[in-house]
Amino acid sequence: MSMIEFHDVQKYYGHFHALHDINLEIDEGETVVLIGPSGSGKSTLVRTVNGLESIQKGQLIVNGHDLSDPKTNLNILRSDVGMVFQHFNLYKNKDVLENIMLAPRIVSHIPEEENKKQAMELLEMVGLEKWAHNMPSQISGGQKQRVAIARTLAMKPKLILYDEPTSALDPEMIDDVLQVIKKVTSESGMTSLIVTHEMGFAKEVANRVIFMDQGQIVEDDDSSTFFKQPKTVRAQQFLSKIISH
Amino acid sequence: MKKKFWLFPLLVCILMLTGCGKSLSDQSVLKNVKQSNTITWGVKGDVKLFGLIDVRDGQQKGFDVDMAKAITKHILGPKGRAEFVTTTSQSRVPLLKNGNVDAVIATMTITPERKKVISFSNSYFDAGQSLLVPKSSKIKSIKDLAGKTVIGVVGSNSVDNVRKVAPKAKIIELQDYAQAMNALKSGQGDALTTDNGILFGLAVQNPSYEVRGGTFTVEPYGVAVNKGQTGFTKAVDKAVLEMQHSGEYNRLIKKWFGDVPGFNYKELYRR
Amino acid sequence: MINIFTKFSSQLLVGLGWTVLSSVIALFFSLIIGTVFAILEVLPNKVARVIGRAYVEILRNIPLLVITMFFYLVIPKYVIKIDGFTAGTIGLTLYTSAFIAETIRSGIQSVSGGQMEGARSTGMTYWQAMRYIILPQAFKIVIPPLGNQFVNLVKNSSVLAFVAGFDLMYQANSIASTTFDTINSYLVVGILYLIITMPLSYYMQHLEKKLA
Ligand SMILES: Nc1ncnc2c1ncn2[C@@H]1O[C@H](COP(=O)(O)OP(=O)(O)OP(=O)(O)O)[C@@H](O)[C@H]1O
Ligand SMILES: [Mg+2]
Repeated sequence: MSMIEFHDVQKYYGHFHALHDINLEIDEGETVVLIGPSGSGKSTLVRTVNGLESIQKGQLIVNGHDLSDPKTNLNILRSDVGMVFQHFNLYKNKDVLENIMLAPRIVSHIPEEENKKQAMELLEMVGLEKWAHNMPSQISGGQKQRVAIARTLAMKPKLILYDEPTSALDPEMIDDVLQVIKKVTSESGMTSLIVTHEMGFAKEVANRVIFMDQGQIVEDDDSSTFFKQPKTVRAQQFLSKIISH
Repeated sequence: MKKKFWLFPLLVCILMLTGCGKSLSDQSVLKNVKQSNTITWGVKGDVKLFGLIDVRDGQQKGFDVDMAKAITKHILGPKGRAEFVTTTSQSRVPLLKNGNVDAVIATMTITPERKKVISFSNSYFDAGQSLLVPKSSKIKSIKDLAGKTVIGVVGSNSVDNVRKVAPKAKIIELQDYAQAMNALKSGQGDALTTDNGILFGLAVQNPSYEVRGGTFTVEPYGVAVNKGQTGFTKAVDKAVLEMQHSGEYNRLIKKWFGDVPGFNYKELYRR
Repeated sequence: MINIFTKFSSQLLVGLGWTVLSSVIALFFSLIIGTVFAILEVLPNKVARVIGRAYVEILRNIPLLVITMFFYLVIPKYVIKIDGFTAGTIGLTLYTSAFIAETIRSGIQSVSGGQMEGARSTGMTYWQAMRYIILPQAFKIVIPPLGNQFVNLVKNSSVLAFVAGFDLMYQANSIASTTFDTINSYLVVGILYLIITMPLSYYMQHLEKKLA
């Protein structure tokens, strides 16, 4: 069963052609890492998957919902598709616990007690149960991102999208977050689509790697093949640049 | 932010001081106007037949204005100049007390309360208060006003008069006659009350309205001057008398009230 | 000054009462109407945005007195009979709501787009995101400018005097023209206005500090 299907998808920002002829199928349970140089369209692609960006041509089906059909209810789709952002986007007016509990309460109407129990369990899983009643402004970037992951998991999504989840973090905080993501992907059987520049992490978690450049998918291979010998020159150059850093 | 605390009393003090200062009105007006060969008059600008600004040339026109011009010539001689400042019922006393105008001739009734703060010449025109209503109105006279809304103008004594003769009427005060008339037209009140002379002017401009019920007060109009200006008051009285003797007064009455329907202007003649 | 206050205290208190009543009503409704039009202005729907924009631009660029006169003179003639107090309060409400809409719109737009995306990507509807995430943050940001609008509102309620709304200014005109003591009459009502506006502005500052 496929979770995501792109068929000849085109995305334009005004006249700018941001995604060219995207054809891609991701099956349930896969962990796919999306890499590529800055401006290549990784964020754009990931954001079309939960409808934060619209597409102009082609067909895009996610978890059985057709995103190219304007009648599709995006709210229903999104309650099954979580997203973790580079800049966390925690609700600044809510404390950590409320950040996690809000959507289950008002979107899925989970009973308050169960909701709270689940939220505390998730906080424990990301190691932040002590911070439940702090405001987002009172915790570090790494902690914020772990809360954001817990918030996403609270909706029990079938698919999680990560858009550079560690790029805005200080180096010493990156590992904690990556550990959490690893745990989530390995334990849950959820489908994951991860944009990252962390190649070591990518090698470890991904079963499949997609390399993008200039709005196109240039390579799509299983992880071990891609990192051992990328087929295209562009991917080779990209990898050598990143690894030499 | 703390600063505001001392600012507030300071403000109050300044305002109180300005309220107590001595003003120009203590000098002799008669001497001043003779020196400058000019009398500055406060007149109405929104009262047809008495003082109305003509939109074509921006000049005030009406009986009061012509009276002022004539009185000026009598006091200062044929070369004397009359200047006009538009006032409202509300602003005419403050402007006079402040010394912005030398005298006020603006449909102003001589009343005991007003005499406490300013002085009046003898009456130069005898008006009486009446009611203006739509021609379709059931109101026939002042007796029919109970429970009705009566429109008056802020600062005119007609409002107080209605309170006395029709205590059960609801009274609303508007800024000037134009607004009062508009309010009457929009149904904000059932009748507009003020002096008949003014009401006739309004009826001329608004043919579907008429003056009803005769006059229920006597409203002698006087020229207002500051207290203690007896020299000037006497000069005005003398000028008005001269105009009455020469027939100049009656010519002005005929000029302004000769064509008003339903108004016997000859009653106003003086000899 | 004291004389005027003691002699006309009942008239002044009546004026104070009408001024406070009009201000409270106008404050409540202009906040609601202003919020609605602020939201219209930031909606993805273009027609809604145009309507929101037009409302704000028209109402805030017409003098308050003109809007009030419209409700006092035109509406009773053609639509429904309303008195001066009602006409003045409606005028005040609509006029103020345009400024409040403008203030809240800028507040909403200063909440980062990430907040909306964060909320939407958990499956919340646009309105849920607005209600639980965006508006609470926007209101907090706009408390100081909103406080200014409220103080302006109280002062602007003096427009009631022009339509016989029995407010403080109306009473001041009336007292000034019976006593001819213009300066002290207006001084007294000036102080009465301060008695309403000063606590209001201190309260807004307190609220700002409390929520900061
Ligand atoms: N909202 C937008 N309007 C116009 N152009 C945009 C918009 N968002 C992205 N683009 C353009 O689309 C292209 C792809 O952007 P995108 O953010 O998807 O790249 P990316 O691969 O995620 O890069 P990075 O690694 O820097 O995050 C870029 O050229 C970018 O300038
Ligand atoms: Mg990106």
